[in-house]
This record gives sequence, C-alpha cells and structure tokens, in this order.
Amino acid sequence: MSQIISFTLNGEKISLETDPMRRLLDVLRDDFSETGVKEGCGEGECGACSVFLNGKLVNSCLVAVGSVHGMNVETIVHFKTTPAYRVIEQAFGDAGSVQCGFCTPGMVLAAYALLKDNPNPDETDIREAISGNLCRCTGYNMIVDGIKLAAKQGNGKW
Amino acid sequence: MVKTYHPETLTEALKIRNETHALPYAGGTDLMVRYRQGPGLVPAFDREVMFIGHLPELTKLQEKNGEFAIGACVPYREIIHHRHTPEILRKACSLIGAPAVQNLGTMGGNICNASPAGDTLPPLAILDTHLTLQSVSGERQVSLLSFFTGPGKTILRDDELLIGIHFRLPHFTAEGYRKVGTRKANALSKVAFAAFMLKEKDMLADIRIALGAVAPTVVRSRELENRLIGQPLTDLANLMPDLLESYGTLIQPITDQRSDANYRKTVSLNLIENFVLKEES
Amino acid sequence: MKNTISTPVDRLDGPDKASGRAIYTDDIRPDGLLFARTLRSDRPRARILDIKLPELPDGYFIVNKNDVPGRNRIKMLEDDWPFFAEEVVNYVGEPILLVVGPDREQVNQILKSIEISYEDLPPVLSLEDAITAESPIFGDDNSFAAYEFQKGDPDSAFDAAKTIIEGEFKTGYHEQAYMEPQGMIGSYTDGKLTVTGSMQCPFYVKNAMVQLTGFPENRVQVIQATTGGAFGGKEEYPSLLAGHVAMAAIKTGKPVKLVLERGEDLAVTTKRHPSVSRYRSAVDENGRVTAMEADITLDGGAYAGLSAVVLQRALFAAIGVYNIPNVIVRGRVLATNHVPSGAFRGFGAPQAFFAVEMHMEQIAAELGMNPLTFKEIHLVQKGDTTATGGVLRDEIKIREMLNRVLKLSDYRKKEGMFASRKGRFRNGIGLGIYLHGCGFTGKGEEIIQGTATVRKLAEDRAEILVSNVEMGQGAQTTLRKIVATTLELPIENIDYPNPDTDRVPDSGPTVASRTVIIVGHLLESAAKELKARWDENEVLSVSKSYRHPSYIQWDQDKLQGDAYPAYSWGVVAVEVEVDTLTYETAIKGVWAVHDVGVAIDEDIIRGQIEGGILQGLGYASIEVMDTENGAYRQRSFTDYIIPTAVDAPKIESELVDNPYEYGPFGAKCAGELPIAGAAPAYAAAVGHALGIPVHEIPAKPETLIKRVEK
Ligand SMILES: Cc1cc2nc3c(=O)[nH]c(=O)nc-3n(C[C@H](O)[C@H](O)[C@H](O)COP(=O)(O)OP(=O)(O)OC[C@H]3O[C@@H](n4cnc5c(N)ncnc54)[C@H](O)[C@@H]3O)c2cc1C
Ligand code: FES
Ligand code: FES
Repeated sequence: MSQIISFTLNGEKISLETDPMRRLLDVLRDDFSETGVKEGCGEGECGACSVFLNGKLVNSCLVAVGSVHGMNVETIVHFKTTPAYRVIEQAFGDAGSVQCGFCTPGMVLAAYALLKDNPNPDETDIREAISGNLCRCTGYNMIVDGIKLAAKQGNGKW
Repeated sequence: MVKTYHPETLTEALKIRNETHALPYAGGTDLMVRYRQGPGLVPAFDREVMFIGHLPELTKLQEKNGEFAIGACVPYREIIHHRHTPEILRKACSLIGAPAVQNLGTMGGNICNASPAGDTLPPLAILDTHLTLQSVSGERQVSLLSFFTGPGKTILRDDELLIGIHFRLPHFTAEGYRKVGTRKANALSKVAFAAFMLKEKDMLADIRIALGAVAPTVVRSRELENRLIGQPLTDLANLMPDLLESYGTLIQPITDQRSDANYRKTVSLNLIENFVLKEES
Repeated sequence: MKNTISTPVDRLDGPDKASGRAIYTDDIRPDGLLFARTLRSDRPRARILDIKLPELPDGYFIVNKNDVPGRNRIKMLEDDWPFFAEEVVNYVGEPILLVVGPDREQVNQILKSIEISYEDLPPVLSLEDAITAESPIFGDDNSFAAYEFQKGDPDSAFDAAKTIIEGEFKTGYHEQAYMEPQGMIGSYTDGKLTVTGSMQCPFYVKNAMVQLTGFPENRVQVIQATTGGAFGGKEEYPSLLAGHVAMAAIKTGKPVKLVLERGEDLAVTTKRHPSVSRYRSAVDENGRVTAMEADITLDGGAYAGLSAVVLQRALFAAIGVYNIPNVIVRGRVLATNHVPSGAFRGFGAPQAFFAVEMHMEQIAAELGMNPLTFKEIHLVQKGDTTATGGVLRDEIKIREMLNRVLKLSDYRKKEGMFASRKGRFRNGIGLGIYLHGCGFTGKGEEIIQGTATVRKLAEDRAEILVSNVEMGQGAQTTLRKIVATTLELPIENIDYPNPDTDRVPDSGPTVASRTVIIVGHLLESAAKELKARWDENEVLSVSKSYRHPSYIQWDQDKLQGDAYPAYSWGVVAVEVEVDTLTYETAIKGVWAVHDVGVAIDEDIIRGQIEGGILQGLGYASIEVMDTENGAYRQRSFTDYIIPTAVDAPKIESELVDNPYEYGPFGAKCAGELPIAGAAPAYAAAVGHALGIPVHEIPAKPETLIKRVEK
C-alpha cells in the first residue's frame, strides 16, 4: 500500500509514492542518491546516518519515511553548501579530525546541531553532543579539537 | 506492506485505533530497531501502523504548582530542556541514548515498550506516576506500577493510547539517580537506580527506591520502604542487612550478553545501601 | 630541531569525506546492479544433508560451490578456507550460498524460504576441546601452527633460579569495528572480472580471484573504493566477499553488490585471536629475571587464514622490551568451530604484550619490588638481543621516553598516593612499555619484493603508483608528502588515486605498518631518481623494488635472527578511577611518548596514536565479545560496544625523534604500535586501584566485582 508522502528535502518540496515504513535512510540513499548519508549500524548507535528533521539531529535509520510527512529534512548534501559547513570543514581540516571519513558527515551535522544551540560549548558539552556518533579511527580528541576550533572561528554566527 | 495511518487529531487517532488496533508509532526508536531487516529492506512490521508522534494533543508538557503533565509523545530533548523538569528525570532522560535519539524518542514510548531496562521507569516509579489511557469509550487513570505485567507486557488495551504522564514532585531532602550502563554514554542499563529521601530532624520521614533492569519490570516496594520510614537515622545501619536481604529476594536479575545476575544484584544492593546510609548515588 | 616533513598539513582527503562526496563501496550504484545476500550456517559443525531451494523468479539466481570456476579455496597460507561450504560447515556464519537478484526484498524472501537440513557433528568450542577432540577440524591435532625457539640456556637458568614465578594471562576477542561495514562489487564484461570494494590489499584480492577463477592475470582487475576504516579486518576477509561477488557476476553477467549489514559483519568476520599465555620466570637473588618461558595459545577458529603469522608475531613479542638472557618461547594456534580469527592492528603483539607486561608486574609484586623499578632494570639497550636472538642495532630511547612519561603523568607520586587510598573511589596508575617490529617479519619483505612507481605527468605534476591504500590511516597524506617533498612540488600536485591493479605495481599489502617505512622508502628513492632525471622526458616513470638491507639475518625455519628490520617504541601511562559501588572504571588520564623514527606529519601520527590507544583501552575494558554454542553473543553495536567521545580520555602525547637510516626521511612505523601498551597499562592501573592482579582482559566490572567482593 504505497502512499503519497510529502516533505521538504533540502529546501525542495517533494512528493513520493512509497511504502511509508521504509527507513528514511534508504529513501535518501536509494531514491535520491544521497550517499553522503551513511549506514554504519542501522540501529541508531553510530550516527553515520544523521540528518536534520525539522532542524533537529536524528538518525535516519530510525525514521520511517511515513513519519516525516509534512516535515523538513536536511542532509549533508544541502548543509555542505552553507557558510556554517565551511567553517566546520576548515576547522576539521586544521585539527586533523578526519581519518577514514565514514563517521565524518554525521560528526559535522552533530557539531552543527551543538553549535547552533550552544555557540561556546565546553569540553563536556562537545563530548556529549557527539556521543551518538561513533568514530573508530581518531580516539575523538582531534574531533573535539575540531569542534572547539569551529566554535572559535564561527564566533557565534551559526 | 502494512497499511499506515497518519491522523491529524487525537480524536481521529483514537477512532483509527479503535477500528484497526493499529500499532502506535511515536518516535519509532524502539519499533524501527525491533523490526529492522537491514540495508534497503523495509522493516518487517506485522501489523498496521499509526503515526502519532506529531499529534499536538500528545506533545505538550505542562507544569502547574508542582503537578506535571507530560504528553506521551513529547521527545526527551524537550523534557530535558524544560525548566521545570525535576532534576532526577532530567538526568535519566539525558542519559538515554544520545542527542539524536533524544530528539525522536518519547517517554510514552519508553513506558509502552515496557522494557525491563527502560530508563525513565525508575524515576517515574518514585514519582508515584499515573498514566492516562484513552480510547473512544473513555479515559482511565492507572498507576505506573500497575501498568506493567511483564517484560514488554502492559495492561494497555488495543483500542487505547497512552496520552499523558502525570506526577507531583514530592518534598524530599535527598535524591539519587544512577545508571550503570555498558559504557559512559549512549549505553543501555545493566542496573538503574532512583531514590528520594526525606529526613525530618533525626528521623527518616519518607524514602522511595526504585530499580530498573534487574527484574521483569521496574522494582519498587512500598512495604520495604515502610520498614525504614519513621525510623531514627541512627538505626538505619542496623536495619540494612535485613533490608538488603529482602531487596535481594525481590529483584530477579538475569544473565545476558550485557551483564550477569550476580553483578546486577550486588550492584543494586550496593547502591541501595550507599544511598540510605550516605545519600550518595 | 624539528623536521619540516613533520609539520602537519591539512589532509587532502578531508573535504571530500566531510562533505559526503567521497564514494565508498555501498555508494557505487552501476546500472543493472544486482544485490546479493548470503545464506549462512547456523551450526558450529555439521554435515549438510540437503538444501531445499524454492522456485526462483526470473532474474534471480543462487550462487554456490558449484559455481566456482577454479578452486574453492581462498588463497592464503594454507588454502583451507572455502568460499562456499562444501559437505560440512565449520562455524556459525559460514557462507553456504548466495541469493542474487535485482530487488533486495525479493532476495531476502528467497533467502528466508531456503531450508537446510544438517547432521550435527561434535563441535570444538574451546581451546580445551581443541586439544582433546576425537575428530579434529584441522590436521590430526587441530593445530594450525606451532613454533618453539630458544635463546641462551634456559634450562640451566631455571635450575639455578632462586625463585620461579608462574602466571597465566588471558585476552578475549576483539572486533575491529571499522565504521564502514565490509562490502564488494563484482562485474564481468567481455571476459574480464572487475572487483571493487573496501579493502587493504588489492593484490591479495587479485591473487585470490585468479585462484578462484583460474583466469589469467590480465582478466582480473581489482580496484579499491574509499575505505571506511579497516584495522586489519579488511586484510584477508575481503578476498572471501570478492570471491562471492565475482562468482555472482560471472554467473549473471551483471554487476553484483554484497554489503554486510552491521550485525552480519560482527557475526561472521574475523576478529583478534583470543589467547591464553602461560609464563614462567626464573629470578636470581638480585631480583633479576635470568630466564623466561612463554607459552602462548591462540584460538584460530575454523580455518587457518593468517593465524600462523599472527602467532609468529605474538611469539616474537613474547619477552616485550626486556633484556632476558635465557628464553624459551613456544606457541600454537588451535582450530575450533568458531569464526576464523584474523588480522587486527598489532597482529598477535597485543596479546603477548598484555601477558608479558602483566607477568613483569606479577613478578615484581611477588618479589615485593616496585613494578616500575623492576621493569626499568630489565629494559633493553642498544646491542642487546631480542627473543629470536636478533641484535637491536639502532639507537634505543626507551629510558628517556619512560622518564618523560613518568614526569608528564606524575607517576611516582600517584603510585604512592593511590596505593593507600580507601573509600569508595579508588585510583590507580599503570604503565605499558612496548615496541613494534616494522614491516613484515623475517625475510617477508624480500620474498614479496614490493615495487613502487613515481610517474612524472607534467612539468609540475607527478603520480604515485602503489597498491597500498588509504583506509583512514593517512597514506594519502604521508606518501604524497614524501614524494612532494622529494620532488620539491606542492603536495596538491602529486596524484595518488585509489589503487587499481591494472594500473599499479604490486607494492605489497597495506598491513604490518609497512606503508611508510617500506613503500614510503621505495617512493622516496624513486622520487629522488625521478628528480635527477626530470628533464629527460615529458612523461617518465621510475620504479623501485625492495632490497633487503644486507645486515639483516634471518632463519625462517629456526625463527632465529632479526625478526624485523627496525622497531618503533612506546611508553604509556594510564590513570583510572574505579567506583567500588559498581566497579565501573573511568579513565582519568593517559600520557604517552612514542618513537616512530621521524613523524611524516605530526597530525597523522597523533591520529594513529590516539585512535590506537583508545582501541587498546576498549580492548582492555568494555569491549566484550564471547561465544555461546560457537556463535558470538554480541551481534549488534548495542551489545558490542566501543568507546564514545564521553568514554574517551584526553591523551597527552609526545614524540621523540630517532631517525632510521632506511626509512623515508628517517621514518619508522606507527600504525600498529600504539595499540600494544594501552591494555596492559589499563589492567595494571585497575589492579593498582583495587589491590588485585588483573590477568585477564577485558577487565569487566562483572569479573572485578566477583574477585573483590568474594
Ligand atoms: C540507539 C538507541 C539508544 C537507546 N538508549 C536507550 C536508553 O539509554 N535507555 C532507554 O530506556 N531506552 C533507550 N532506547 C530505547 C528507546 O529510545 C526508548 O525506549 C524510547 O523512549 C522509545 O520511545 P519512542 O517514542 O521512540 O517509541 P516507539 O518506538 O515509537 O514505541 C515503542 C513502543 O511503545 C508503543 N507506544 C509508543 N507510544 C505510545 C502511546 N502513546 N500509546 C500507546 N503505545 C505507545 C509503540 O507501539 C511501541 O510498542 C534506545 C534506543 C536506541 C535506538
Ligand atoms: S546507521 Fe543509523 S545510527 Fe548507525
Ligand atoms: S574517521 Fe573513521 S570512523 Fe571516524
């Protein structure tokens, strides 16, 4: 029983006829080729599939597409075009926050979700904000440094 | 493919629930994991599904003179950020999953999921929480503790929805909350502990203790609490051995892939003793 | 003075990865793509009696052992591991067949409708079972490999000993937990097989495909896709997946993708070998260890895989960083009906370092000596010999490094202060001192003869052609930096595309911490020659092949001589706080000093050190994986937990400069090194806090509480 599901994806209104119980993650990757949204676990543990839903960070593997009817979905594909993204990308570059990169788009979104609400986070705030984003390569400190640097360079303009 | 519903109002939702017994989907964080099949596969839901997470009637959080009413579908993030949220509940909610899960997951979902390890249950238990269950034929209020009948099992009828969570912040002089998880964040509980204590002069005027993840449902015993209530503080240490033994028989922890029964039991008793005698958690 | 090569640059692969533009295996979606899913054994050991297949809809296929064009064995040391099970299955999760088709739901439905009937056979589910089993899985004694070697005259030393101290040390499974699950895509056009995927060793995969298909080499092409972490987990296992998609592509004529979902990846791919080590040391009246006997047993799982080499590396590390005159080292790796164990950062060394470091702690404790002082007096110096009798020829800075760590961590003070602590929270501090042999063992590098090429593309542009991959460790940055610096070109002007076996020479696998020291060195010398000949031609290639430094002596039959061309070194201190209500442990601080020769980029090295230390801390503490009836009990990221940012400690880390003559710009190795010391340092710290020896990891709260509250 496909249904028409309408939502805004990266600023564009879309209507989609599909099974409402499909994971938003699959819809993004398979129907919209949004391969920047990654699947690391499929069970809400790793954060690789992070997207913004009505401006809030969520795991798209935990979201049935039918539940986003009428909502606003933003992914890394759109976020990467924003000035905020460029600040974070540069800070991550300077701090050496990226290794294999599989966790990185999710980390970037989690970092932004934090900085938007709390432009001057302390160490604990940062660690808690990315505690749903697993990284096996870095040991996290260089990511924490990247977010601190982004906070400094973003200078409250999020 | 299962049929789904996306009602606009609570009235409509209750009607659908009455007619179809569709499975309520609030934040989906339990359901999407329970039914998941893997990349590119539709989760294997076996019944019709009704999305309720967006219903305005279920997403309000109100506080008036210490009386709390939390809509079943208020996500954790909002509960955490609400300025009147009792500290113990804020702590418990902020240790559930991680921010992205807290943006989706709801307290109603945690309650209705009825997992023995549901982290809101111990604090809600000591808050003497009542639940409002509603169906087209009316509304009933039940106490949180009477809601559960076993792991994953509740008295919720398949024409009902949980709509509200109600409690009154008690007067207390000390509170304790401890989640003993598999790691420091984004963890599932091996043991969860919540407690309030009210001391008046040299006497223990009230105490409330609840434990999670150590029995088929959340554990709270007014009978055991009563053994301490009214006792002089200086006697508490003497009462401990018997009390702990009773708690030891009350809880029935299991051994699984996350921990073992011996650990769960020893830690539960350590936490009780320490809170009662030192007010720490 | 600081080397300019060490000054960090922004990683060149950073922006593509951060923005989601980088294309990993599962992001590749060619037209006409078919999906594969694997039907696996749910028995640890059984004979397959019958497989009932449903009627297949059009366009759907079953791929199994009958579709093997050449040999149904993954090319490895023993060639005993089949791509698809034949008559018997030997572990839970062993692949039996694939279902392949255009729609994943359909593929899944078909998979679920297949019925297999088995006749169960008596499984081998523990090391004890492996020794006593009546019907062995491998050979006639279930032993994939067994080695023994000696130094000096251990028998006499034990006879003359004042005290003999014995201990047993255990380590558990350890999952690589790379964030990108394993995946491969195969295609077959015009008689040519192409496999693309997440991997460390394109030529391992290629050679495996040649043996599988019987095709001539020019009909097999292997391309590495951006790889989301590997840690050894993508060393040998990708060959299995590649074989599956290869057969499926050949059968269907369409591109076929196989990506494991996380639960499947956890359940069926290789892990670090669990180990049991028995140590025995002879101590004289001055408190000096005169002889040490080490006996290490590894659980190899159902097939030999790379286990023999893992065991060798464990044995070579058996006496740690200590100068012990008389040594006897023995070890074996046994076959069990578990998932085959395999490569993981450290490759045997973490098990041995855990054992020897804890054994040294144990000896000190039993002698009533301070463990640090005890370790200090036994530390090796330049000119001393290793367990295999090799000579430590290069400058050793381990004492200087140790002193620095002691200072950074305020070790001596905390050691005394914590020991007397009472009450609920107990602190402890512990130390790990370690080394890592760079590159392949013994004559390994000479045998594989890696070749690396640098090619001039334009007046201001050159290209690196090697089979080594970027998997997160920074090869894109370090190798380009080596070539760019040598050619005096900007780093952006050096191309280094992901390896494609049709284009690159075989410079060997991306393993054994060999990429910079071995391949980087070949690139450095190729670039030097290219620079000298730059004006000869518009396009010009220079290739260099490995030549063994003549001073290295090695006898592979006796395992005697220089097991490695060079060593990197490390010292780490870990401070913990244990809550004695719950026996949960918080890591309060980590201080580390490493000698990696010269850092080719300090940020890359810091990344390796921090990631490696945290992985080692996870190994020692919260990462629990155990089995029940042969299957892992932890089959999701909810149950197999790795540290989060909140669990991760801050790490204060420094380097000492110690240039190596045969490494590029003086560099040695760094990738595996940092994982070796974290686990023993953690265990020693927990032991210090609770006043009990910790001889088993993971040191989970469940075990600690039993030991203390007993
Ligand atoms: C990564 C991750 C981490 C997690 N960590 C924790 C943790 O630390 N602690 C913890 O306790 N839980 C944890 N959970 C579980 C889960 O997030 C919580 O139980 C959450 O509260 C569930 O809420 P939901 O709205 O998402 O529930 P849903 O999945 O929507 O529903 C759960 C169940 O409740 C029923 N239901 C929901 N709302 C209603 C209603 N109003 N009336 C009737 N029935 C209803 C549903 O039908 C379903 O059976 C975690 C989950 C994930 C994925
Ligand atoms: S894939 Fe969604 S959280 Fe891991
Ligand atoms: S960079 Fe590899 S997982 Fe984070």
